Amino acid sequence: MFEFAIFFFFAAIAVIFALVVVLHHNPVVGALALVASFFALAVMYVLLEAPFLAALQVIVYAGAIMVLFLFVIMLLNLQHRREEPTRPVQQFLGYTSSAAFLIGLVYYIVKYAAFEALPNGPFNSDARAIGIELFQSYIFPFEMVSILLLAAIVGALLLSARSVGARAQ
Amino acid sequence: MIPTHYFLILSAILFSIGVCGVLTRKNGITIFMSIELMVNAVNLTFLAYARQFHQLHGLIFVFFVMAIAAAEAAVGLAIFISLFHHRETIDVDEANLMHW
Repeated sequence: MFEFAIFFFFAAIAVIFALVVVLHHNPVVGALALVASFFALAVMYVLLEAPFLAALQVIVYAGAIMVLFLFVIMLLNLQHRREEPTRPVQQFLGYTSSAAFLIGLVYYIVKYAAFEALPNGPFNSDARAIGIELFQSYIFPFEMVSILLLAAIVGALLLSARSVGARAQ
Repeated sequence: MIPTHYFLILSAILFSIGVCGVLTRKNGITIFMSIELMVNAVNLTFLAYARQFHQLHGLIFVFFVMAIAAAEAAVGLAIFISLFHHRETIDVDEANLMHW
């Protein structure tokens, strides 16, 4: 019962702050609301018996990625800029199609994915189990991801440095 | 224990909010944040199914998705900085440099 109370409380927080991200006109408020939503999702990960990934969610997403977002928003000084609203047709189509998508998804989840019972026994998903799996079965994708991150660093540097250099000339 | 489909429905709600943000906003960074929201909704689905079937593969996938989201954020924000230096805006309707 206590678990359900925690689930519904943090689910409400996640959904409300996600709505703030989408509806608020100031991107700084949006980024901070997204951080709050990610914290609520980290609580969900703990409820799903994945404490290691909950820690990663807080450190990587709420800590690193969102700081990058806030840094760029403040670097470009976007918080004082008026965003023009999209066309009414686009607004209408966006809201109705996403609502229809949600209704369809929930219908099929309730129809086909409402599992009766969870398997018995504790689910061992701590950092040790994940590490063993990662460095035995998934060692090749792991190395590929490291190369991808290196390529992303070089690409980000090239993209932003070239525009700064072009401006200085 | 909370049933799996509660998490799936929460994930569906968050994903739809992200879709709505991508379809209705013009600010490039807000659209990017909506995409991050959708990525997180999918992560929640992966973890819900990982617990349902007692498989570690879902957790490994979430790990990789986080790494790729970090790479995507770095490159995407660099593109927005570059666009801002060219156009003085990050309105995605103005981003038509590659338009024929």
